[in-house]
Amino acid sequence: MGLFSKETETAPCEVEVSHTFDSLHAHVKFLNGAVINPGDEVLVHGKPVLAGYGEVVVEERSATITRASKVEQLWTRLTGDLECMELAEFAFSEGALS
Amino acid sequence: MNAHSDVNVDENAAGILPHNSEEATAIATETTLLDPRFYTTDFDEMDRIDVSPVRKEWDEMIAKMAADPNRGHFKKNENWTTPDWENMDPKLKAELIDFLVSSLTAEFSGCVLYKEMKRRGNNPDICQLFQLMARDEARHAGFINDALREAGVAVNLGFLTKAKKYTYFRPKFIYYATYLSEKIGYARYITIYRHLEKNPDNMIHPIFQWFEQWCNDEFSHGEAFALLMKTDPKLTQSWQNKLWIRFFLVAVFSVMCIRDHLRPEFHKALGIDIDWYDREVLRKTSEISKQIFPIELDLDNPRWERNLLKLREASAAMDAAKRRGGIGGALGKVSAGARAGLAFASLYLIPVKANEVPEDGRLVPSY
Repeated sequence: MGLFSKETETAPCEVEVSHTFDSLHAHVKFLNGAVINPGDEVLVHGKPVLAGYGEVVVEERSATITRASKVEQLWTRLTGDLECMELAEFAFSEGALS
Repeated sequence: MNAHSDVNVDENAAGILPHNSEEATAIATETTLLDPRFYTTDFDEMDRIDVSPVRKEWDEMIAKMAADPNRGHFKKNENWTTPDWENMDPKLKAELIDFLVSSLTAEFSGCVLYKEMKRRGNNPDICQLFQLMARDEARHAGFINDALREAGVAVNLGFLTKAKKYTYFRPKFIYYATYLSEKIGYARYITIYRHLEKNPDNMIHPIFQWFEQWCNDEFSHGEAFALLMKTDPKLTQSWQNKLWIRFFLVAVFSVMCIRDHLRPEFHKALGIDIDWYDREVLRKTSEISKQIFPIELDLDNPRWERNLLKLREASAAMDAAKRRGGIGGALGKVSAGARAGLAFASLYLIPVKANEVPEDGRLVPSY
């Protein structure tokens, strides 16, 4: 990992999307044990994973992980603290309706 | 828990429509693209959590959650009467849908975060807890999603194939924020439920009838985070962390009040006075949080409501400035931002009340 340069790598992953009455969830799991660090960016390839209502879709895909540079990683660590308000339930939408 | 959501109208939105195309046109007229944030944290630090100081309470709590008392709760029954979405006042409809979408996004993001912690962790106690909480959140999201389908809103999970950047939070910030988020969620749900119990004519959507048992999940997730914080007294007792806790209390409380005031029609239809509701929810949450936080905000101090109002006005001015755009908008944003910062600082600086945290702080839902 460079101070400023970004590196990319490709990792196989499993995407699971559940769109059922009992569970609405969507997760990506890397099959080669790749670990995501602060500031990294993940792009799952292919068409959007589509699950119709009542379906659970599990697909193997590949993903590109763009590793954050050292500087970016440090920045993400520092500023993440300020963004943590998003964890609070109410900060969901921008401004008033209408 | 939270994330952003985008509502856009697209009849052919990507694939989350029912299979039958006739049904699709009939039902889905609007698509909500879920766009949750993705988080990462210091998983090694979380692996080092040792629950042995609270082992007995921990095991009891896990056993209760594993028994899954709400397993059968999220099923529609004869009490579920689909609202007349077509003839609903458009403003009310928009706010009610916004309420459901925001709740859905909150549950969904909770699920993503908890699942990630479960998957990345190596500590069996912690992994088990997060697995159980992810289960509840996904179930809640599924239930709300079904209510949205009835309203003709389809949820688009296509975000998975968009590039996602992972945001970093220190574990303790996740504890403070999610603890408060779960407990305030409980207080919100139960306050609405009790109000509608007394005012059944204001039941504008059947989902509120499910809130009484539903919010027990939120309550018990909050209990779990309280116990997690108990494993390391420094998390709540060091002077720096007391300042952080104070920050989270002020931030979570004030943001809630701002948000609620953005949905006037929704609250009017429920017969709820927003100021009364916010006061009530904050009082309950503040009382509950004495189980773990060594400080308590002085909500009765007249400076609290006065500066809260200023913060709300600054936030409205900010919205207006953003809509205006251009140089005037930019200047307006700077001025509104400064006023908001000042109001927030004034709220933060109101002297807090010290609180003696009980040895065994466990609580049961009692409102």
